[in-house]
Amino acid sequence: MQEEKPTIMTHEIQLENIVYALAVSPTFEQDGLCFAARSTGLFRSQDGARTWQDAYASLELTAALTTTIAVLSPAFDADRTLFAGVPGGVLRSADAGHTWHVASFPPPSPFVSSLAISPDYARDGTLFAATLEDGVFRSADRGTHWAAWNFGLLDLNVLALAVSPHYALDETLFAATESGIFRSTNGARAWREVDFPTHWAPVLSLALSPNYADDATLFAGSEAHGLFRSQDAGATWQRLAGEQLNGAVNSISLAPDFPGRPEVLVLHEDAVLVSRDAGQTWTDWPSDVALEAAVASLAAPHGLAPGAPLLVGLTDGSVLQI
Amino acid sequence: MANSRTRDIVTRRVATRRVVFQPDTYQGLQRGINQMANAVRPTLGPRPRIVAIDRILDDKMPEMLDNGGIIVRRIIQLADRDEDVGAMFVRDVLWTLHDQVGDGTATAAVLLQSIFNHGVRYLASGGNATRLKHHLEQGTHLILDELSRISTPVSGPDQLAQVARSICYDASMAKLMGEIFDIIGEYGRLEIRPGRSRHDEREYVEGLYWDRGLVSRAMMADHTHTRTEFENGAILISNLEIEQPQQLFPALEVALRHNVRSLLIVANKFSDAAISFLLANRRPDKFQVVAVKTPGWGEQEQAWAMEDLAVLSAGRPFVKAAGDTFASIQPDHLGHARRVWADRRNFGIIGGKGDPRVLRQHIATLRAAHNQTDDIVLRDKLLQRIGKLLGGSATLWIGGVTELEIEERQEVAKRTAAAMRGAIMEGVLPGGGVALLTCQPALQARLDQSQDPDARAAYRILLEAMEAPMRAIAANAGFDASHAMAHVKLAGPGHGFDVTSGQVVDMDQAGIFDASGVLKAAVYAAIASAGLALSIDVIVHRKEQPTHASAKSPGKRKRL
Repeated sequence: MQEEKPTIMTHEIQLENIVYALAVSPTFEQDGLCFAARSTGLFRSQDGARTWQDAYASLELTAALTTTIAVLSPAFDADRTLFAGVPGGVLRSADAGHTWHVASFPPPSPFVSSLAISPDYARDGTLFAATLEDGVFRSADRGTHWAAWNFGLLDLNVLALAVSPHYALDETLFAATESGIFRSTNGARAWREVDFPTHWAPVLSLALSPNYADDATLFAGSEAHGLFRSQDAGATWQRLAGEQLNGAVNSISLAPDFPGRPEVLVLHEDAVLVSRDAGQTWTDWPSDVALEAAVASLAAPHGLAPGAPLLVGLTDGSVLQI
Repeated sequence: MANSRTRDIVTRRVATRRVVFQPDTYQGLQRGINQMANAVRPTLGPRPRIVAIDRILDDKMPEMLDNGGIIVRRIIQLADRDEDVGAMFVRDVLWTLHDQVGDGTATAAVLLQSIFNHGVRYLASGGNATRLKHHLEQGTHLILDELSRISTPVSGPDQLAQVARSICYDASMAKLMGEIFDIIGEYGRLEIRPGRSRHDEREYVEGLYWDRGLVSRAMMADHTHTRTEFENGAILISNLEIEQPQQLFPALEVALRHNVRSLLIVANKFSDAAISFLLANRRPDKFQVVAVKTPGWGEQEQAWAMEDLAVLSAGRPFVKAAGDTFASIQPDHLGHARRVWADRRNFGIIGGKGDPRVLRQHIATLRAAHNQTDDIVLRDKLLQRIGKLLGGSATLWIGGVTELEIEERQEVAKRTAAAMRGAIMEGVLPGGGVALLTCQPALQARLDQSQDPDARAAYRILLEAMEAPMRAIAANAGFDASHAMAHVKLAGPGHGFDVTSGQVVDMDQAGIFDASGVLKAAVYAAIASAGLALSIDVIVHRKEQPTHASAKSPGKRKRL
């Protein structure tokens, strides 16, 4: 797949708009299923991002429904469940995006900026929605009902969420906000400030090590000061790569077997950078593809090994494989 | 020791005062201290015994108490005046301790009693009181350092519930306390109210609220829920007195000119004319306006409330003392919030539009002030403010079969909550007196190094005292204290006697904890007070025996 010429999106998705997020099936290699959350809605591809269909077709919408985020259930293979964040609420599909249920939020309607699902979703049915003005909402019934849980969350402008890979045991998640980072160790029922200096905020992106329970490592991407790493669950932070990453870090992905393979992928401004030494040194992601617009979102369905293809969503609405 | 003839010699009547010298001083103090300590001692541990106290004002059945902090308040005078001095001395120490940390009174009483009694014995054999006091103080530092060293942080609902159970000995209350403090944290706002059923219940409220309601019932938009609530509302913050409707014109003009659709006005007073004017100008579909009084009693509290509101909502307070009026109001003087609500009793805001950085800095400043101040009243006020600003609160409704039971459990819940805050801030220690036993090796080492007889006596006294709480806990539960102590020492460090099972257990594994802050405060209060009592040489009585019933003002908190 990585040898192929990049595929331009079908006409429905060539509108001028931003691909805010990409979500990829865990068995992408076999089924080629992925989703693109865009200003004009949610689009589904079943052929490895070559062609796209409107995932909201069954809703028969009269106007485009901006979709800021799409996430798949960790047990997507079995439950075919995905969630889409839209202004005012969250949509849930239990058939891989063919039909949808609308989950309403208490008024006033929040603007959902991010979604995060418990790794143990199959058992606990828990997921979280970050919003731009109303903090964090939590659902414990598979996205049907939502309630705000903002004890101690002193900044309700939440830009990103990250859930511990061992959530079933530690109930830990982090929220990135305009003024810094907050941590909950009780499933978002209460939040505490993390000692992330406010002058490095806002924080746009977060990623927890797959081995977080042992290495307590997480990465935070700021809006103007690059990438930071904590190796003690957020108690102290080191700025990584200094001036080389002096700007917005919009997305962070870690290798599935991090820190065994210490690979980190970031979307820095509009460049895709990779580090193979846990963030010390960085290089451009190798690609022959010339991008005609800025990169807005990333997905790494095959991991971060050299030569593995990446999916990138651009600010002109297209999705490319590089 | 002294016969009546000796007493006649050492006791002189000087004009209207009676002066008491040694050895009567120690004897009197000792009897009083022992009476007061013995009244509190039965309440130590998870299997406390009851202290029955006759009521003064009526002939109903005696009060049945198992809380040392309450018991000492009820004992207001002993007949013997020398004893009374000793008893009231202990009462003052324990009352202050109870006010400051909410618990630890029985532990302090037992420690104080042990140290004082052993100290008197040593001084009677020729020791120097001043030097003994000095070395006791040295030993205090050693013990406090040891306790700090072995303190461990506490987190999670289960562990917090275990700590709560160690304090209140009430499983259902402890479970809820664990959940509540896991959510609200050490600074969170918790209201403890009498419940309406047999069971304890809890409720969480999102956002912040103040205890000031709508100035008029007619301002309620939702009569079903007897409240009014609006989204994206503006807030006018002041402590002005609105006598004439004209005072409000500039504010309403600014609001309307800038498309404010809903406005909450906070002011110290609204005249009937002003309320009528506001009601007349409400347009439910276009412009909602509601009014509440400025929260807080007195200028200082109102200033604090206005400051907090301003930080939360990015508004600018209009302050009467500064000569402010609404005539100079600008659009950016209005605060804003995602949701604003008010009912007859309270008003609140959710999602204030203040700068979160400023809010975090504001809270950090209040926390620093809270940690630094020695003024108990100010500490409480700061805690209340911080709790509000954290964005949510919890209410614990205490259940019970009778009003009396609810009252008593409410008192226990308050005491537990205070100790829980200390436990989260300063960590926990192995409970049941084990933490104090852990200090013995350090004291023994200091004893072995010392050559000075007064120093050696002080460390020996402290070594003995460190065992006193565990012995009292075992004895209160009906066990042979010496037998229990022997088994605990045999089992090694970290082990203690679980009186509920009658077994020697690992206290950490058994989940038996003491709040570190409470235990340290009790140790400090006991040793410092015993040292002071031992250095008392003369008692001078007034002609009339003083009464001690009236409430005392809270003392200063000693930072440990």
